Amino acid sequence: METAAEQISLEAFLFVAAIIFSLGVYGVLSRRNAVQILMSVELMLNAVAVNFVAFAVYTDPELFRGLIFGIFVIIIAAAEVGLALGIILNVFRSQATVNVDEVSELKW
Amino acid sequence: MGMEQAWLLPAIPAVAFVVLALFHGYLPRQGDWVAIGASIASFGLFLFVAIDLFDQLPAAGAALVNNTAGFDWVEIPEIDFVLRIGFRVDQLTVVMLSAVTFVGMLVHIYSTGYMKGERRYGWYYAVLALFVASMMTLVLADNFLLLYITWEGVGICSYLLIGHYYERRSAAEAAKKAFITTRIGDVLLLIGIVLLWREAGTFDMSEIFHMAEEGGFDKTYLTMATLFLFGGAMGKSAQFPFHVWLPDAMEGPTPVSALIHAATMVVAGIYLVARVMPLFEASFDGALYFVVAIGLITTFLSVFMGLVMTDIKRVVAYSTLNSLGLMMVALGFGEAGVGAAMLYLFAHAFFKALLFLGCGSVIHATKRQEVSELGGLRKKMPITNATFLIGALSMAGMVPLAGFFAKDEILVQANDFNIVVLVLILITLPLTAMYMWRVYALTFLGQPKDERVHEHAHEQAPVMVYPLIALAGLAAVVGFVVFEPVGEAIGLGQGFLETVENVLVADPHHFEFDWPIAIISTLLVGGGLLAAMRIWSGDATIAKEAGARYRFAHQLFLNKFYLDDVYQWIITNVVIGFGKFIAVFDRTVINDTGVDGPGDVANGTGFLLKLQQTGKMPNYALAMLIGVLVLAIVGFSVKG
Repeated sequence: METAAEQISLEAFLFVAAIIFSLGVYGVLSRRNAVQILMSVELMLNAVAVNFVAFAVYTDPELFRGLIFGIFVIIIAAAEVGLALGIILNVFRSQATVNVDEVSELKW
Repeated sequence: MGMEQAWLLPAIPAVAFVVLALFHGYLPRQGDWVAIGASIASFGLFLFVAIDLFDQLPAAGAALVNNTAGFDWVEIPEIDFVLRIGFRVDQLTVVMLSAVTFVGMLVHIYSTGYMKGERRYGWYYAVLALFVASMMTLVLADNFLLLYITWEGVGICSYLLIGHYYERRSAAEAAKKAFITTRIGDVLLLIGIVLLWREAGTFDMSEIFHMAEEGGFDKTYLTMATLFLFGGAMGKSAQFPFHVWLPDAMEGPTPVSALIHAATMVVAGIYLVARVMPLFEASFDGALYFVVAIGLITTFLSVFMGLVMTDIKRVVAYSTLNSLGLMMVALGFGEAGVGAAMLYLFAHAFFKALLFLGCGSVIHATKRQEVSELGGLRKKMPITNATFLIGALSMAGMVPLAGFFAKDEILVQANDFNIVVLVLILITLPLTAMYMWRVYALTFLGQPKDERVHEHAHEQAPVMVYPLIALAGLAAVVGFVVFEPVGEAIGLGQGFLETVENVLVADPHHFEFDWPIAIISTLLVGGGLLAAMRIWSGDATIAKEAGARYRFAHQLFLNKFYLDDVYQWIITNVVIGFGKFIAVFDRTVINDTGVDGPGDVANGTGFLLKLQQTGKMPNYALAMLIGVLVLAIVGFSVKG
């Protein structure tokens, strides 16, 4: 069987993961809606997972240790989303908005 | 009972001061009898001390006597510091003590009449007692440190007494002026003492004099130190330019003026210069020339100012300045002049105190001191009139009163010293006679200028009259002590001048009556008196015309040569101006920048830093991103 390693280079996968990560960073910094920020964080996490798996395929064909990291990332993302959504819901209850620009009670 | 008990002399009034200061409110008559008793006891003890001294002094032309008794109070051997309470009795001391104890006693008695019913009567006597104690310790002191302490002591008593009527603004200002002016002199004195101590390692006077005589001091250094000491004398004895405090000091009660600003405290400077004459002799001649110059300036200034002043006390104050100037000039002649100066001091104590107490009687009787409101008191106050006349003539130097002999001796010494100085002093003789006659005539002769005042005037109580008589007697005859027979009769063993000079020189020159100088001076004095009788007789029209014609001079003298204004200008512009600069410096540099500065910097930095806390999550996220990027770049570039 021809593995992906002989047809597509590792750099391609890393490049894609980097772009997705950058898009996620841009989203975190520029979005005003808290849920959108959360979605961007998800993007970043998924890009990281892709990165891990790509390395696993190309540099660790026997044990696939990167795959385990990827599963960890998914689990942690899920837990974090649950937590984050809970925070957003609480914020919405008290401030009646999810616009992060308006939630600045801790301003000097 | 003799010289060993000399320490009791100041101790008795000192105890009187403590008793009066604490208890004058509880004693009957506020305790004036405590002070008076102390002064009489001191005078009695003084007589014993003096007799003992002259008994122990070998006959004429003998060696010097130097005996001290005392104890070391504070001793710090590592730095050669010793505060010794030591007393030494010699002829110089005895002359001063005679003036202090005798005039002091009379002033104490006189004050019972003069200060009757005045406020703070008990405190007045307390400070008088303290003054007498300090003054006596000053002349008895055998070391410079004790001298300085008591020097300050008499200064503070003068301040307290000038400011006795402190509710009156002018009195408070005068007291302040006196103290601050003499303070400048005191600082100079202290510098001089420290300079001497630095080289000699001791404050003891006789040790320092020995060292000076043997050439143990560098001549320039010694001259400098001696001039600093003279600075102190200039302040206390109201020499130019420190003379400005003495006329204003007349704000105090008149008996105070008689005791402190005539007989005793102001002559402390004369005493000091006489005492440290060995240092002057070992210094450059310039030091003594300086003394002569300052004395002459003071004399001339005061003579002119005395001619125009209208307050009788002030005129007598200027006559005191006149006398002090003359005494300084005499001392400037060196060892030879000490005898003349001390004779003048001795006579001056009596006739000047007499003049002041006479003024006091007039003031007490008429409640006035301006000549424009007095006049014609001759019939109403005959004893005061007679005694004042004797005092005035003695001051003028009329033969055969005490002042004549005193002035004469100074003239003789001036003749030996320098003919120019002699001529200058001779010029002041008729002027002195003129202003003394002027103040006498305008007060006692002629027509009264205020009838109501004249009506009520009468001779005062006996306690005020008898001291006048006693002083008048002394002012008349005390001059005869210069003659050897008289000196031997009162136990000195020789004439007065030889006795005093014996302190400094083993073989003093003998007193001889110098006929030419005596005749010249008598003619000048007589001429001055006659001229004054003409100018100020009747309505004093001649005087008034002269005043109108020489308007510039008249104004100059009346305004005290504008020296007070110069000093005031210096104070407001230089001293207070400098003070304002210092205040601004203190406020802006030290306080605002130095003290508040770091606090303000911290505050400002904190303010700027807090702006970082926007409370907005995207800002924090950006900060985190930048941080990570920086770390990555730095980390990768370092790792290479």
